[in-house]
Amino acid sequence: MARLAGGLVGPAVGLGALAVARGPGRFTTYAGSSSLAATLTVAAGLALVAAGLVTSFSRPAGRIGDLAVLAGLVWFAPVWVGWDKGPPMVRSLGLIAGGFTFPLLLHLVLAYPSGRLRGVVARTLVSVVYLGAVLTALGRALVRDPFFDPDCWANCTDNVFLLHSLPRLAHGIEVGDRWFTAAAAVALVAVCAWRLLRDSGPARRALLPVALPAILLAAAVTARAITLARVSLEDPSEPAFGWSFVIECTAVILLAAGLVWATIRMRVQRLAVARIITSLGQAPPPGSLQAAIARAVGDPELKIVYWLPDSQRHVDANGRLAAAPIAAPGRAVTVLVRDDRRIAVVSHTAALPDLEREIGAAGRLALENERLQAEALAQLEQLRASRVRIVETGDAERRRLERNLHDGAQQQLLALSYDIRLARTAAQADGDAPTGSLLTRAVDQALVVLGELRALAHGIYPAILAEAGLSAALVTLAEGAPLPVEIHAAVERRYPEGVETAAYLLVAEALDDAARRDASHTTVSVVGDGGRLVVTVDDDGRDRTAAMVQLADRVGAADGRLTVEPTRLRAELPCA
Amino acid sequence: MRVVVADDVMLTRQGIVRLLREAGVEVVAEAEDAAGLLREVRLAHPDVALVDIRMPPTHTDEGLVAAQTIRADYPQVGVLVLSQYVEPSYAMRLIQEYPERVGYLLKDRVFDIATVVDALRRIGDGETVIDPTIVSRLVRRRRREDPLATLSDREQQVLGLIAEGMSNRAIAARLYVTERTVEAHVTQIFQKLHLPESADQHRRVLAVLAFLRA
Repeated sequence: MARLAGGLVGPAVGLGALAVARGPGRFTTYAGSSSLAATLTVAAGLALVAAGLVTSFSRPAGRIGDLAVLAGLVWFAPVWVGWDKGPPMVRSLGLIAGGFTFPLLLHLVLAYPSGRLRGVVARTLVSVVYLGAVLTALGRALVRDPFFDPDCWANCTDNVFLLHSLPRLAHGIEVGDRWFTAAAAVALVAVCAWRLLRDSGPARRALLPVALPAILLAAAVTARAITLARVSLEDPSEPAFGWSFVIECTAVILLAAGLVWATIRMRVQRLAVARIITSLGQAPPPGSLQAAIARAVGDPELKIVYWLPDSQRHVDANGRLAAAPIAAPGRAVTVLVRDDRRIAVVSHTAALPDLEREIGAAGRLALENERLQAEALAQLEQLRASRVRIVETGDAERRRLERNLHDGAQQQLLALSYDIRLARTAAQADGDAPTGSLLTRAVDQALVVLGELRALAHGIYPAILAEAGLSAALVTLAEGAPLPVEIHAAVERRYPEGVETAAYLLVAEALDDAARRDASHTTVSVVGDGGRLVVTVDDDGRDRTAAMVQLADRVGAADGRLTVEPTRLRAELPCA
Repeated sequence: MRVVVADDVMLTRQGIVRLLREAGVEVVAEAEDAAGLLREVRLAHPDVALVDIRMPPTHTDEGLVAAQTIRADYPQVGVLVLSQYVEPSYAMRLIQEYPERVGYLLKDRVFDIATVVDALRRIGDGETVIDPTIVSRLVRRRRREDPLATLSDREQQVLGLIAEGMSNRAIAARLYVTERTVEAHVTQIFQKLHLPESADQHRRVLAVLAFLRA
């Protein structure tokens, strides 16, 4: 309602001001000095009001629009001050209000685009400027009698609030306000320039339409302050004053246009986001949502991570662990919530003040879907990692067992047998034939056990595989195989331990399987092909019925692929 | 015959040493790792070093590496590698570079101490010794179109003894035939298998082993 009222009051105040400027304010206002000045004055004020209404109605979250409307109304204050023979109250109020135009515009520029002041510098600057404006307004109202002001021009008669005339103090306040405003303008330029330099890409592009007019405005304000220092009497017909006024009006019009442009751009973007999200379809591949939103809002660095409440961590769309985004200069972070639950955290350009609205309900639904997908993928990844761990632990255990057998049981048995052998010699020397033959049998049995232990250890893990690699181990395997094995294109280089073990066990299992299916011979081919090792075992046995699940598990754990055909096994093992 | 014995497992080493001494072999030093072995070889200059294939620190192929170092640095010192692996790859690797005065025997072979003493003597004479278990594994290997099928039983027997590193004279003694008969068998075998006949005893062992592994 207040906004609507502001919207109605705006044109009225503007048209009234125009009437004043063309009539009783002809010599006491800038607007009265020429028809160009009058047009610019009215256009600038109304542009601010209009831009404010457009902005505030399409973006209620921001206070930008309200600030613009207010600044637009206050903008006309100098004209009302110059209403010659007008109501003293109006002229006195105009004098007080006029001092707030620049503070309001400064606040607007610094609060753009979110409506909130970000950073200590901006907050301090805005507070100090408002405080200065309030003190100046109080001083002007209470101690300045325009009648005793030698530099007065727009209004030399009326101040209904005057408490006690103190001409020297009043003059000091005017001079102080002049330099204070100039300093604030310089500070505004500095902040705008710093923001433009700091930000890049979409953030800077969004800042430009507001920051550039603001710099122009600040320049005009500073120029007027400097001119006033030289020529203490303000006179619109003086070219220096006239030009700085024209520039000021132009800057305000551009600023209003920039606000409108940003608002329209935001709406277009929102429509684009909605359209793109709808066009993604039922089950978009992981990550396409991020790419689509990034494209729609024109921020290629936009990142979406999803929150998994069960495992209390953030993941990307592929379910991989991701760091929680943090805000940085020019980058903002928005937490997206649906039904009171956190779905996603988005890191995006600070030029997008209201990402939640940009994405909309449809977007949130799409994000929730992708979050569920990411959760499933994360669980899949966990399972995969756990399978890899199981296989790796199993392999490590195999090697440990083989080593333990070799260094433990086998050595102990050997040593024991050597002793029995010595005992037999002693018994034979003593002529104890029965004991001698008993010990001979014991040695023979020990030999059998040693042979079995050796075969067992080799079956658990062939030491040659770790020491000499896949080729050598496969040759040994073929030598002991129950059927003829031809080995082709054996690779000479070494591969990661897991890959070699998987390939070796695959061939070993395939040879056993071929023998079970009465094959008369097998052909093994091992080919190193770029980043992968391809192992193929062909035989001429009966058709295979077993699914070779254990092999599939092992190959899968190595991130490879196993193809099971009736008389052929083929595994692709990545080994990057 | 003066030997050095290297094995990291004390029980096994002591067993081997006692069996060797009982058989009349002079054990001049013992070592428990490759570094100790090389030190003892340098100090004692034995005829042959008996080396365990797997020793500290990595327990992989220290024995083979030490064997090659000894063969390279002390040409007069023979090396007999003792192993628990029926693994032709290791035997091949051992004899590839220095086929003279080296041998590869399974540790069980020590029970039959006469075989070990015979191997030590052959190595001392400059021959090559390969464990019969390994050779028979290679000969018995299943082949699709088995070229060994063209050999007579006696020829197969001779082939295996060649692979074990035996000289014609030793084969003749083993089979109770004349050396000339053995020579005739060898010529037949090499022709049937299309192997180039070599006068060099050691090259002959390598060629036959490589053929059997192919």
